[in-house]
Formats: sequence, C-alpha cells, structure tokens
Amino acid sequence: MATLASPSETPVLPKIEVKELNRIYQLKRSKGGAASEFIALKNINLEVRDGEFLALVGPSGCGKSTLLDILAGLAFPSSGAAYIDGKKITGPALDRGIVLQGYALFPWRTVRRNVEFGLEVKKVPKGERRDISSRFIKLVGLEGFEDRYPHELSGGMKQRVAIARALAYDPEVLLMDEPFAAVDAQTREVLQDELLRIWGETKKTIVFVTHSIEEAVFLADRVAVLTANPGTLKEVVPINLPRPRHTGDIRSSAEFGWVRHKIWELLQNRPEEVPTRHSGVPVAEAISPTAAL
Amino acid sequence: MARTPDAITDRILRWSGVAVFLLLWETAPRAGWVDPYFAPPFSAVLGAFGRLAAEGTLASHLLISAWRGLSGLAVAVAVGVPAGFLLGRHSPRAGEALEPLLRLLSQVNPFTLLPLFLLFFGIGETAKIAVIGWVSLWPILFYTVTGARTVDPLLVKTARSLGVNGGGLCRTVLLPGALPTLFTGVRIGAGLVFFMLVAAEMLGANAGVGWLVHNSAMNFQIPRLYAGAVAIVFLGYALNRGLLTLEQALFAWREAPSEAVTGRAARHVLRPGKGGAALAAALLILLFVAGGWEVRRVNLAAVSGGHSHHGKHSLPTPERIEEEKQLEQDLNGWEPFTDGGKGK
Repeated sequence: MATLASPSETPVLPKIEVKELNRIYQLKRSKGGAASEFIALKNINLEVRDGEFLALVGPSGCGKSTLLDILAGLAFPSSGAAYIDGKKITGPALDRGIVLQGYALFPWRTVRRNVEFGLEVKKVPKGERRDISSRFIKLVGLEGFEDRYPHELSGGMKQRVAIARALAYDPEVLLMDEPFAAVDAQTREVLQDELLRIWGETKKTIVFVTHSIEEAVFLADRVAVLTANPGTLKEVVPINLPRPRHTGDIRSSAEFGWVRHKIWELLQNRPEEVPTRHSGVPVAEAISPTAAL
Repeated sequence: MARTPDAITDRILRWSGVAVFLLLWETAPRAGWVDPYFAPPFSAVLGAFGRLAAEGTLASHLLISAWRGLSGLAVAVAVGVPAGFLLGRHSPRAGEALEPLLRLLSQVNPFTLLPLFLLFFGIGETAKIAVIGWVSLWPILFYTVTGARTVDPLLVKTARSLGVNGGGLCRTVLLPGALPTLFTGVRIGAGLVFFMLVAAEMLGANAGVGWLVHNSAMNFQIPRLYAGAVAIVFLGYALNRGLLTLEQALFAWREAPSEAVTGRAARHVLRPGKGGAALAAALLILLFVAGGWEVRRVNLAAVSGGHSHHGKHSLPTPERIEEEKQLEQDLNGWEPFTDGGKGK
C-alpha cells in the first residue's frame, strides 16, 4: 500500500469515477405553492484509485451517504454518473460490498450464516461457503463465535461480522457508511486498527463515509471534504502520514494534528472567518501548522 | 433440563389454582351447595370422559374438531399472509386505501355470517372451514401487514445492495423479518378459531367436540356435556401450547427479555431449536392427516345412512339407545345435519 501514495505510480484507469454528478430532490409544497428543490449533491467529480482508501467527511446533510448509496447502486443521480472500472453504475452488484452504521445483521442468522449471506446470493456451493466464511470470521477475529446469534454479540463484534459479511463474497470495493459511529470510543479505535490490517491483507478499494475528521485522517490515503447546502466536494486532501499507522501513537503527532486542522478549516465553509476562530482550537493544533505535511 | 427443587415448587404453585378449582367442583355438588344434576361432581364428569375415551369416540371428536380448526387456520394463513405482504409491502398505498374497509369487515360478527355461509357453501365441511377461516383471517392479515411494514429497512438495504430483489428478497429478508409478528397473529387467530369452531359445530355438524356438547345438552346428558367442555379446554390448551413451542423454536434467535426489563432473575427458557420445530410441525401434519381421514369416514358413514361413528363399539345402554334413536330421527330428516330435527 506504500506504493499507492508514491508519486511514481503510473496513471491507470480509476477504480471508481464520479463525473459531474448531481442529485436533486423535488420537495412537495402545499398546494398552490411551487415545488422547490433540494440539492443534495452538486456537480461532484471524484476519482478513487484501485486499492485506495478514500474517506468522505462532511457535516450531516452534505450528501455523503447519498453519494455512497449512488456508488452502491441503491440511489440514482439526477444527472451525471458514477463509474466502476469504466462501467456506468446502474444498480447494485456483487462487485461492491456495503457496511452500514447499524450493523444490519440478520438477527435470525448465526454469525456464520450472516457471513455466508452474500455467498448464498452468489450461489457458492455449501462446502466452499463454509471454508470461505471460516476464513473471514477468522480474519475479523471472531473464531469460536460462529454459531452465536447477533443479539448475543457486543456492538463491536456485530460490526466485525458486518465487515466479514461484506468481504466474504469478494467484492472489489468496500463501501462503508459511518460503520463505527455506534460503538464506544475504545472499540472504535480497535476496529479502526483492525480495518487497516484487513485492508492491508485484502487490498480492497475502500470508500469510507464518516463525520469524524480524526477517523478519516487516521484511516485514509485521501480525504474528500464535502460541505452542505448544497452538497459540494470542496477539496480532496491527500494524507501522507506514514503507514502502518496503527503502531505507535500517530494521533498525537504534529502532522496528524495539522492535517486534521486543515480539514476542520475546510469544513467551516467560511474561510475568511477562520483566523478569528483559532481561539477555539486546541493549542497543539494551533501551533502545528508550522509542521511540514 | 434438570429439575431443581425450586422448579418443582414453582410448578406446584403454578397449578395450585387449578387444583383448588377441581376440588371445589368435586365438593360443591356432593355437599349440596349446587344442584348435582346440573353441576355433577368432577369425578362424574371424569367418568363420562373416561367412557367416551374408552369408546374411542372422544378421540374421533377431538380429531375431527382439530382437523376443522387447522383447516380453517390454514385457509386463513394461505389467504392472509400473501395478502398481508401485498398490502403491507408491495402496494402500501392500496393497503392504506383498503384499511377502513378491512377494519369494517373484520368487525362483522362471524356468528351472523354462519347462516350465510351455510347458504353459500351448504352444510358440509366447507361452510365450517370458511367461517373459521374468516375469524382467524383478520388477526393474521393485520399482523402480517404490520410485520411486513416494520421489517428493518437496513436489512432490506443490505440485501438490495447484493442485488437481491423480488422473490429472493421476500424469502431471505421480508418473510423471516415479518415472521415473529405474523406468528403472533396466527396465535391470536388460533384462539378465535376455537370459539368459532364450537359454535359452528353446534349449528351444523354430526361430529366434533362442539357437536358433542350440543348433543349432550339436547339429551340432558349433563356429565357428558361437561366432559365435552373439558375436551374443548384440553384441545384449546394443547393447540396453544403447541403453537407456543413452535414459536419458541422458530424464534430462538430473538433476544430474551433482560433481567433489567423483567425485574426478575432470568429464567431458563427451553429452546427446542430445530428438532422441536420439526417435531411440532410433524405433529400438526399428523393431526391434520388423521383428522381429515376421520372426517371423511364419519361423513361418508352419515351419508350412507349408517350410524355415525359414536356408540359403534359400545354396548347399547338405555341412554345410548335413546341417543341412537335421536340420531336416526335426525338422519332421516333432511341431511346429516344432526340438529336439523331439533329446531321444532
């Protein structure tokens, strides 16, 4: 994965490409009044490279989840299009796996049968299904829990099952919609480390939606910053922090703080006011801009 | 499951109310607190029960009633579940539009429909099954609609993201997701089935526990009447227990209510699992097949002018002769509709 960030990489076809994409919702007015529009996404252009970890950050209402749904083929753009491997996305398919915030595990299926769900859809034979599910249950560290039902698991374990389920049918892209938002802070850090390890082992392309700047900076190769009303892509910030990141306390490094602050500034949406807001920023961040990125 | 002394005490406590009731039933007529002719002591009822059981007629009545109840319930499930998914999931707007009508229809008193159904379907099994199906349809339909509407949207989204749609989505997500709610409807429906079953058998039948009670009342066979009533209680209780067992087995994946909610230490819940569900289902099917066979036999016997099954194996006691005479009279009337001659 170190090669991904290296500038010597030869330009190849992007894994995912979003071109001039708009998503407009027609809001119904009371009778007589004109129908008004809500622009959820406005002129989004974005590329995700093969094997890249891209994070989408933004406030609620910026359309980041809508964008993810469009990539998953579950929602459709009003104009423009999204492409995967150069092919226009017209609906859901097994080349993309999704992981949602609410785990979305089938409560009537055991851990193993949840992980095997996509394999059943793919019509993988039973014996092979078992081998694959065992492998992915091991990958997410849930050996011995194969026959448990979701209600017998903690939040963090449920999310591990959801990740294993999304990986098991071998999609090329993993779409994750605030997957760690519902778990406690310690579990979240553990899951973030685990995700980076899994990403390293499986070499998937990951698009990761979050509202946590820190999470985005810690995980991603690049962070796409979206702002709301209308949802626009403000900037894509490359994160050149060294990998592996889960060793050592990278979160307290000056570089980390600087990037985090830069994205925070971008999210303020009113750059001219930013200098006056420095008083509200932790001291470590206020002094870190001097550090080289 | 090991029986601890606590569990045994618990069991005794749970059934002590029944024991006291039975004791009162036995003593009150004997002590002369109530007229023993109209309320014979429990032992006399048990005697009648025993005689009926020994003759084999009790089993026949129970089988026939169980078959009618199960058939009606099966019809209600076959109609209510697809209709519920259609109205709750497939075309929710149609569901909303039809709701007032359906609510009104569900309020139609089934007893008033019984004569109508007899007109439409004749006096055979169809009318009884139709009216039983009618009463149990409504809870099944409404609970299915609710169940189908409230399937976790995230689960639907997850399945859809894998390209699962239509029938596949129904089978893998919607049906299992709605099943617990749907099953509650079936259980409520099964309870209503019993009220209606007994009524239908009283109005037009030649066998079944409802007929047994009605016929006994008509012939002033009071202990037999009580025995029939006890049989109905037994049948209802057995069906309810069977459905509860099936429910626990099917939904073993559900979260047990926590100690914090119930305020009591969690009790060990028997989880029969797959084996239990298979056993319950097999029992139901067996009951259904045997009951169907019995109904056919009894109806054929009645139509061919022979005596219906009851009393076939027993010695002709005076009461038996009286009963057979009554039956003959009924059969020579207009149909194998035993109380046809009694409306006079």
